[in-house]
Amino acid sequence: MKPKVAFFDFAGCEGCQLTILDCEDLFLDLLERVDIVEFREALSETAPRFDVAFIEGSIHREEDAERLREIRSRSTLLVTLGACAGLGNVQARSNFLSPATNFRRVYGEEELNRVQADPEFWPLWAHTRVRSVKEVVPVDYELRGCPVVAEEFLHLVKSLVVGTVPHVPTVAVCVECKMQENECVFDRGETCLGQITYGGCKAVCIGHGYRCDGCRGLLPQANLEAHRQLLRDKGLDESRILERYRLFGSAEAWGRERRP
Amino acid sequence: MGAFLVRKAAVTEWIRSLAREQPLFFPQPVGRSGFRFQPLREGSEVRFDHYRPSVVPPGRQLTPAGEVLFRYRTGEGGVPGFESVLDASPRILAGVRPCDLRGIYLMDRVNREGRDDPHYLTRRANTAIIACDCLAPCDDFCFCETVGSLRWREGADLFLTSVDGDFLVEALTPLGESLLPGTGFARCEDVAGLRARAEEVRVRPFGRHFALSPERIAAILPGLWRSPVWENCGQRCLSCGSCNLVCPTCYCFDIQDDFDISDPSSGDRRRNWDGCLLPNFAEVAGGHNFRPQPSARQRHRVKRKFEYLVGRLAEGSFCVGCGRCGRQCTVGIDIFDIVSELVAVAEPPP
Repeated sequence: MKPKVAFFDFAGCEGCQLTILDCEDLFLDLLERVDIVEFREALSETAPRFDVAFIEGSIHREEDAERLREIRSRSTLLVTLGACAGLGNVQARSNFLSPATNFRRVYGEEELNRVQADPEFWPLWAHTRVRSVKEVVPVDYELRGCPVVAEEFLHLVKSLVVGTVPHVPTVAVCVECKMQENECVFDRGETCLGQITYGGCKAVCIGHGYRCDGCRGLLPQANLEAHRQLLRDKGLDESRILERYRLFGSAEAWGRERRP
Repeated sequence: MGAFLVRKAAVTEWIRSLAREQPLFFPQPVGRSGFRFQPLREGSEVRFDHYRPSVVPPGRQLTPAGEVLFRYRTGEGGVPGFESVLDASPRILAGVRPCDLRGIYLMDRVNREGRDDPHYLTRRANTAIIACDCLAPCDDFCFCETVGSLRWREGADLFLTSVDGDFLVEALTPLGESLLPGTGFARCEDVAGLRARAEEVRVRPFGRHFALSPERIAAILPGLWRSPVWENCGQRCLSCGSCNLVCPTCYCFDIQDDFDISDPSSGDRRRNWDGCLLPNFAEVAGGHNFRPQPSARQRHRVKRKFEYLVGRLAEGSFCVGCGRCGRQCTVGIDIFDIVSELVAVAEPPP
């Protein structure tokens, strides 16, 4: 029997699911090996149980967390798709602001005054906190990146189908850069988070002339102290450094500390 | 073998004509200051006289990242069949510096030690090398002379030396001779005189120098296992592995199997570049890591280059002094500085 696979989305842009659908030819081969039972981007069916649940998006409200727990209880394996589910992504930066400040910044004072008096709406907003999936339920595998890398998704599914251990890169983006023979971002006179960020992305951003902002997350063995010193030496002050670390990593150790 | 004195423009034209016949990899600028060995195309620049060492050394062309070693298929009755994948397409590496040439020579030895590596050796047998002498260090990171790479010629099929604006073109092998144009190159009678002329203008001393010979360095390293130098550079190390991946004499790899999604009974085995500075490099089954600290990994790298492989695979030093690792390290860890510090502690200057 083919394994049953399901996709669920929470708060995110659904770009990860689109990246997967973009595999097209390979995706059709994949359908020979697995049964997709839930996938809002592609079909309308549902199923009581599945072998693998892919989760996209970050978890904001308590009702979202409840829905996630319920999915977890119905699935043998749970895999996060991308930086929103894995790290909380850029939206997790709102956790550093009070809900009222956050709302005022986006919608203005007048609108804030209006909704704060609305008992239907305000409690919902006031109790919102952006969480990654692993802050709510146990996660078996993480597919990293913003968005995910299609080849990594296919590799993981193939491994799960035949029961081998998937190869998950635990090396820095620098390894990818060297394999692509890219000029180092620091040699361009800029700074980069590649040395402390999970690789596996083929260093696409750097290959296209940008830098690494760390969307794949902080490596567990990262020498953060030395990296921070390097950024200081390159002229970044403490608040700029924290901004860089927090862009994708505000829910992680590198972004969590208080702004000086 | 023939030697010729050729005008620069004629050498450029000759290189371009070779590139029209087969893939010819030549260092070309990438970004602001990088270089990459890539196939020369119509309109690409041909400049021998000035380039910083490429991001990764030309020898990496012989072991490309992610190369397929063999394909497999499970046939009737579950019996697997294997088909080795060998790349015998001819190619030329041109503009190779003496340090990188010595790197390729050392890799030739590595891949012939014990069991031959057919993947490397097949590519190598079909690769012609046009090397080019260095008369000035490429930048402040260079230390090729002190480790014996500066005057290296072995492994090249053709060797070019700039002499007063022209090129002394020497064929060192029959393969090299076969790449020369039929006519048009004027034979040179006074090779020794021209080489002496190049030696005269060569910068002296060339690049950075250790206070001790490579042989002495290999002799003192065993006594420096507990030196504080390792911890000092371990504290700064980001464990990004760049130093390994840009090294002409790092050859460690990782193996991965992959199967075809359309037919899971068939697939391939690939090898990918790996490096001993990467945190999980020395992790074994069961999860034990023999070198969990960056300081232990730095020590291992230095000892591989200057002690462990000396005598077994290299005369003098397994480091070729190209300076890439120091140049690419964003936190400024430079193997030349590490060794110099160790030398200063073990044998302080009088």
